[in-house]
Amino acid sequence: MAEIELRNLSKAWDASVAVDGIDLTLADGEFAAILGPSGCGKSTTLFMLSGVYTPTGGEIRFDGAVVNDVEPRDRNVGIVFQSYALYPNMSVLQNILFPLRFKQVDDADKRAREMAELVQITPLLDRRPSQLSGGQQQRVALARALVKRPNLLLLDEPLSNLDATLRLTMRAEIRRIVTELGVTTILVTHDQLEATTMADRVICMNAGRIEQTGSAEDLYLRPDTLFVAGFIGSPPMNLLAVDPSAAGLRLDVDGPVTLGLRPELLRAAETGVPATVSHVEPMGRETLYTAQSELGQVRFLEPTARPNWAFGDMLKLAFDPADTLLFAPDGQRVPDAHATWKDLAHA
Amino acid sequence: MRTTPRTRAVSDTALFLGPAIVLLAIFFVAPILVNIVVAFTDMSQTLDFKDFPTTKQFNKLGKLDDEALLGIELRRSFYKALMLTLVFVVLTLGIFNLTFALILGLTTTALPDRMGAFFRAVWLLPRMSPSVVYALLWLWVVDSTERGLFNQILMAVGFEPMNLRLDHPMAVIVVANGLIGASLGMIIFTSAIRSIPEHLFHAARADGAGPFSIIRHVILPALRWPISYITIYQALALLVSFEYIFLIMGPARSTMTMAMLSYTKTLAPQIGGGQYAYGAAIAMILIVIGILVALAMWRLTNMKALLQRPRIEVR
Repeated sequence: MAEIELRNLSKAWDASVAVDGIDLTLADGEFAAILGPSGCGKSTTLFMLSGVYTPTGGEIRFDGAVVNDVEPRDRNVGIVFQSYALYPNMSVLQNILFPLRFKQVDDADKRAREMAELVQITPLLDRRPSQLSGGQQQRVALARALVKRPNLLLLDEPLSNLDATLRLTMRAEIRRIVTELGVTTILVTHDQLEATTMADRVICMNAGRIEQTGSAEDLYLRPDTLFVAGFIGSPPMNLLAVDPSAAGLRLDVDGPVTLGLRPELLRAAETGVPATVSHVEPMGRETLYTAQSELGQVRFLEPTARPNWAFGDMLKLAFDPADTLLFAPDGQRVPDAHATWKDLAHA
Repeated sequence: MRTTPRTRAVSDTALFLGPAIVLLAIFFVAPILVNIVVAFTDMSQTLDFKDFPTTKQFNKLGKLDDEALLGIELRRSFYKALMLTLVFVVLTLGIFNLTFALILGLTTTALPDRMGAFFRAVWLLPRMSPSVVYALLWLWVVDSTERGLFNQILMAVGFEPMNLRLDHPMAVIVVANGLIGASLGMIIFTSAIRSIPEHLFHAARADGAGPFSIIRHVILPALRWPISYITIYQALALLVSFEYIFLIMGPARSTMTMAMLSYTKTLAPQIGGGQYAYGAAIAMILIVIGILVALAMWRLTNMKALLQRPRIEVR
């Protein structure tokens, strides 16, 4: 277990910058998720933490000590890869024992079996990886990463190769095992549900930088940037480029801004922004509508399985001004600034 | 005429497999059959024969004296050829075609891409140049006078010049064959190493493995099939190879392997050739040895499993 600190950490290959000066501190035993789209630098960050890549700038500290130039084998980091990366020529037990070969451990076999017990693969110890299902391989990979009692556990998209049901089970399972061992853990994923359900804290990355760090709720309700607002949530937040001089709209700020409003916070009402339904998507528990409004194209969600509106219906969309977010042209949210619609003030 | 599915299937099979079967029959099976027939005759340079079938040629093989070669008495030239072939194949295969090829594969894949490709291309150059040019270069390298490259190096570091062709003939042909033969293994091993998923290397490093542990536990297991393939293929190729031996050493007794012996007995008239039946008998024994070696390695390396289904476990 260790406290992990990244200071102005960067990684560049020739002209392309993968990670662009990030700062981050993880408390001992914390479970954090790095969330971001493909190519945002999250896996590069992970590989720098594991020692596979050497940073081109900044510092990585484990419990205060800089480890930039420390070989992977001396960092005591466990890593689970997206593809599990099990050694195909070794049995499950040999795979789990592999990291202990390079350490002076007396009870290696006992430890490996205990770890197999923890991840519930004891009956499979003699099998080869090719004889295992995806979920079983993932458990072996987890056992192999944990058997050396790492300071830091890194999970690189560990669930993306599993089917939906298994993913649900493994999410809880990984969380259980990690909590039981109390190891500092970083999960890298592009799946926001995975990040928000498993981690204590979510770090949202984009284009090599950290956009926002916080709880799942912070990122969903109070995104700091336009990127986070658009990336977190499904269906995504309505992001409308609005002109402050537009009739009907009143803004707390001057100048052109982007108005952000979650689809579930818009509702059909007596007064509000006039709109015409252009698309209806029944999603099971709820229905998603797309409408052309005076503010532009918006999506809104109603919690009914049967659609209340059909293509071409005209309606008015109301919202609570406190739910609106305003983003300046540089993409940053303007704190405590909201928008309202002329009718709503009277409503 | 309407065709039934059955006749259609037969004609399709004939259409697709026919050309390959005909080629195999003409260029592989027929020569072997002709060779076997000739081995049991007393055919000479004039291509006619009086006896058939006769085991005369095989009886000659074990004879103490064989005065055919330039009239010089060669004692047990056949058994000597068997031993020389064994030494030649085992050393060339073991040192160069496998070990050195593996080292080339490992080092050129560890280098940056362009540099690795450059060095591989350099190792392929002798394969691209005519054998005569390659042999000539070797003759210059091992020249017994002070002009020889090897001797120049020896003298530069304070040693006496050597006559390698006379004193270490086997070493000369093993090295000359090996350096050119290693490039095949290098290419096969390189592509096999390249096909190992990168995350396995990352995992091994994170697990604490150093470079040698990675070679031992990640790379070598993945090269099991390529190594088996190169072993079988190169062993068979070396058994019958005589081109460089002949070009560099000539019909020297010190490097008279089976293939060389068969060649000199038949196709080198100025040095006692023209004994077609005798040469065919030696060639037939080479064929039998080749088949036995192939079968043994087939069993030893479980090659059958390789040919049955894909053995690459990619995730």
